[in-house]
Amino acid sequence: MDFNWGEFLQFTITGLSVGMVYALIALGFALIWKASSVANLALGQIVLISSWFTYSMLAQAGLPAYIGLPIVAIFALFLGWVIERFALRPLIAQPILSLIAVTLGIGYFLEGLITFIWPLSTAALPDLFPKEVIHIGSAVISQEYVWVIGICLLVFLALTMFFRYHRMGIAMRATADDQMAVQACGIPVTRVFSTSWMFACVVAAIGGVLISSIGSISHGLVETGLKAFSVVILGGLDSFIGAIVAGPIIGLAETYGGGYLTEHLWAGVRDVIPFVIIIIVMVIKPYGLFGEERIERI
Amino acid sequence: MLKLNNIEVTYLNVIRVLHGVSLTVEDGAIIALLGANGAGKSTTLKAISGLLHVEEGEVTDGSIEWNGVRIEKKNAEQIGKLGIIQALEGRHVFEHLTSEENLMVGAHNRKDRHAVKPDLEMVYDYFPRLKDLRRNTAGYLSGGEQQMLVIGRAMMARPKLMMLDEPSLGLAPLLVEEIYDIIKRFNSEQKTSVLLVEQNVRIALNIAHNGYVMENGRVVLDGSADFLKNNEDVKEFYMGLSTLGTKKSYREVKHYKRRKRWL
Repeated sequence: MDFNWGEFLQFTITGLSVGMVYALIALGFALIWKASSVANLALGQIVLISSWFTYSMLAQAGLPAYIGLPIVAIFALFLGWVIERFALRPLIAQPILSLIAVTLGIGYFLEGLITFIWPLSTAALPDLFPKEVIHIGSAVISQEYVWVIGICLLVFLALTMFFRYHRMGIAMRATADDQMAVQACGIPVTRVFSTSWMFACVVAAIGGVLISSIGSISHGLVETGLKAFSVVILGGLDSFIGAIVAGPIIGLAETYGGGYLTEHLWAGVRDVIPFVIIIIVMVIKPYGLFGEERIERI
Repeated sequence: MLKLNNIEVTYLNVIRVLHGVSLTVEDGAIIALLGANGAGKSTTLKAISGLLHVEEGEVTDGSIEWNGVRIEKKNAEQIGKLGIIQALEGRHVFEHLTSEENLMVGAHNRKDRHAVKPDLEMVYDYFPRLKDLRRNTAGYLSGGEQQMLVIGRAMMARPKLMMLDEPSLGLAPLLVEEIYDIIKRFNSEQKTSVLLVEQNVRIALNIAHNGYVMENGRVVLDGSADFLKNNEDVKEFYMGLSTLGTKKSYREVKHYKRRKRWL
């Protein structure tokens, strides 16, 4: 049997773009984790609510993308600010487990809100990217995948620069290391926390818009939150590079698994493979592929 | 000028750790705050810098005045903006950041961004070793280098009052001297007041203008550095010297332990 290279290329591009979106959402997780060591379990719901909000702006209100998308960004900023200000800030200095439980509660709250406001089961965003297909050899690739990959790379680049060079980014990393010392430098940690939540929500919203533009909006998007967790765990909880590498690994494993193994094994295999990979990696490298090792001076 | 008027500090509303501490830091002076463990030195610093609120402590009586304005209710951010910066005890570097990033965190709140770069050079001038290590991860620096980094970070805020909590902790004597020389130079060149908490009484009094001795949450003795250096009690209880100025041999101790005069 000849290997079908065209099909392989299609799987690869699809897997890469979906994986990049996972990585992007994973960054939203890492942002909060890096600044405050809180695992944000509401991530999937934030992705979903931003997608629905985008739907309202673009499809229902009929705004053009250059007006609608900035409004979505502002909505996400506001969402992040509200969550941090009213749900998490009152719990500062409480055990980290309570904070994580609160994010779980926020997730369910958002889910309820979503079914209340958008009772539809699925919807599609208007086209954001050109529809023409690209032919590479025998492969037919939809252009939007390429756009998605490009936008994800841009966001990664912007965030990486932000964390390396911007003083707020550096302050966020510093807060992750030593909150007390950050306060001793006169930096308001509360502002660091709310910035990290606002950024995280925007990143998650970008991820939501991208993934619903290549697929559709449905309750299944909440699961991308779960996928993002697996990316984060695979890549290392606080590592950007880790997320960028692990995202495509998960995405590719999913599409290759779905494409090649379904007929030999069973239909749900595509959802299992990423987790099999994670378990294997965690056994070998418990910090994840690129996780920060704890620096211990003895 | 910083003035503490008879402050009391209570943690968690029940544990009183300071019972009326008064002290004054004149502009441009180096003040040493001396005493044994648990005397309340660090708490005093945290009361000034506002970090007390983070630890559920509170100034329950008395006042802290900075240039005539009461600051005991302000938080660390507001106090930092007034130009009071504390370097914590025990080398709190940001482990995963590079040395230079650590220094930049110190300059976070500065409004004069264009002056930050020259100040970075200033810090490298005081601590040439940090310049060589600028790209190294701070967590892997040696103890002395980390201490330099913490002091350098405080310098980057361009404070009017720099509070150092035991900069000699766990360092080799030669390094301690080096760091103290730099603190002294910084004070005289930049006119920054320094409030120094120290257990190493001898070295602290060598650079300080005035000193306060604390015990059990109270100031028991204060005066100029020379006065304290020559005080019999300080010599005996904090420098381990007997009245003759020679090293005391505990092998020959037969007498009853002399009572401190301030009790």
